[in-house]
Amino acid sequence: MSDDSLIIYEEEIKQIEAILTRLLKGAEAKCALLVDKDGHMITRQGFTQSLDTTALGALLAGSFASTKEIARLVGEPEFSVLFHQGKKDHIHMSIVGERSILVVIFDDRTTIGMVRLYAKEASLELTKVFQEIQNNSKGGAGISDDFSEEAQDKLDDIFQD
Amino acid sequence: MVSINYSAREVCCKIVYYGPGLSGKTTNLQYVHSKVPNNTRGDLISLATEADRTLYFDFLPINIGTINGFTAKFQLYTVPGQVYYNATRKLVLRGVDGIVFVADSQPEKMDENIESITNLEENLKEYGYDINNIPVVLQFNKRDLPGVLPVEELNARLNKCNWPTFEASASIGNGVFDTLKKIIKIVLDKAKSSSAPKIRSAPAASGPTPPPDVQAMSPEKSELVREPALPPSATGEVRSSTGKIIVTEAAYRPYPGSEKEAQREKKISSVALASSKDDELAAASLEKNVIAHDNKTEESPIRMHTPQMAPSLKRRGEGKKRGFFKRLFGIK
Repeated sequence: MSDDSLIIYEEEIKQIEAILTRLLKGAEAKCALLVDKDGHMITRQGFTQSLDTTALGALLAGSFASTKEIARLVGEPEFSVLFHQGKKDHIHMSIVGERSILVVIFDDRTTIGMVRLYAKEASLELTKVFQEIQNNSKGGAGISDDFSEEAQDKLDDIFQD
Repeated sequence: MVSINYSAREVCCKIVYYGPGLSGKTTNLQYVHSKVPNNTRGDLISLATEADRTLYFDFLPINIGTINGFTAKFQLYTVPGQVYYNATRKLVLRGVDGIVFVADSQPEKMDENIESITNLEENLKEYGYDINNIPVVLQFNKRDLPGVLPVEELNARLNKCNWPTFEASASIGNGVFDTLKKIIKIVLDKAKSSSAPKIRSAPAASGPTPPPDVQAMSPEKSELVREPALPPSATGEVRSSTGKIIVTEAAYRPYPGSEKEAQREKKISSVALASSKDDELAAASLEKNVIAHDNKTEESPIRMHTPQMAPSLKRRGEGKKRGFFKRLFGIK
């Protein structure tokens, strides 16, 4: 279970955020989120204050997972890009490396072509960063010894019938 | 797989409620949602059918606050229990850290319980997990109903791996929190035991001091991040780094579209995209950009890479048009 732990350090998050910021500037999108396939939000850039990014991450990952099953049923290993078109806002999702999803939310101030172009470029860069994360995390890391005990104390306070 | 984000100071665990249809998985989540304080939980999201049967999953995020400088977050999921939803049920298990198996205590549901546990084992195996190694808590639900099977019998038939068990009546809340607390404890203990021991000695816990593993790695990391004005102590560096990240997010540039250069870039790129064969061009420009990024300086990444793409695309696009009109009107 610990073999595939995702542990991201300060330096890598900064790299990722720089890539997302470049993507936003280039594509003129509203915001960009990086979600792992398990539904955890890794990081986000742009105008995300009004969004429930936790729920969004879980739903987007779910959406991608179900699409992957659909792909498998029609004989494809995976659909690497997903696009949802709305009245005002649209969502472009693309796969990054083995385990992450790059989500770009944009409106009519830009075009799907621009978003696609820059997202593709960002995906390539992010894949490299994730490769580094993967390599770095092999040393093993985890939570501190007393984390579990303190969590239990907090849970006793919160979970009251 | 516990996800640890050192930058956002988050530890995130995924807990899945598994079990046969109508055993009370969603009810467990609904009870948790109704009882925990608003500032601790997010919205309960249910992807359900018209008849309120779970179609894909229910999702409830819980944030129990900061421990040792890290925010502990738990994501509770349920699966659709009905047999024919196995494809979606399996998807929810991806990246799971702990499982609560909700068994129905009624005698006529025993076969479904056994079938569901077998199905859980198979689905876990497909992700490379072993049911013997993954944290599982068994919940015998619906204990308030008349004629339910005795706990000993349920335990004998369902508890394959000596998992902790709890009696529960999810509809009135009995045993719901006990189950959840137990699974969280096992998940966190497991995450702890799988960690490297040396860099994780207990910190002098005071306020937002980050845990020692962060302190251990921070000096070299902060050098890379370039924060020369930081105080010499490792702790200070980390705190400062965190502050910087928050600032980065808050002080995000104004909404795009106002900068002239950005508009110019868009225009040029749009022309390029419109002038057919865009895939070839895009691929070519992407290759160039990747090379450009490798050599980029930190100050202005955008300015470094866009002109790389723009002139070549512009030349090619315009060249074609000029040639076309020249031929059309016979201009030499």
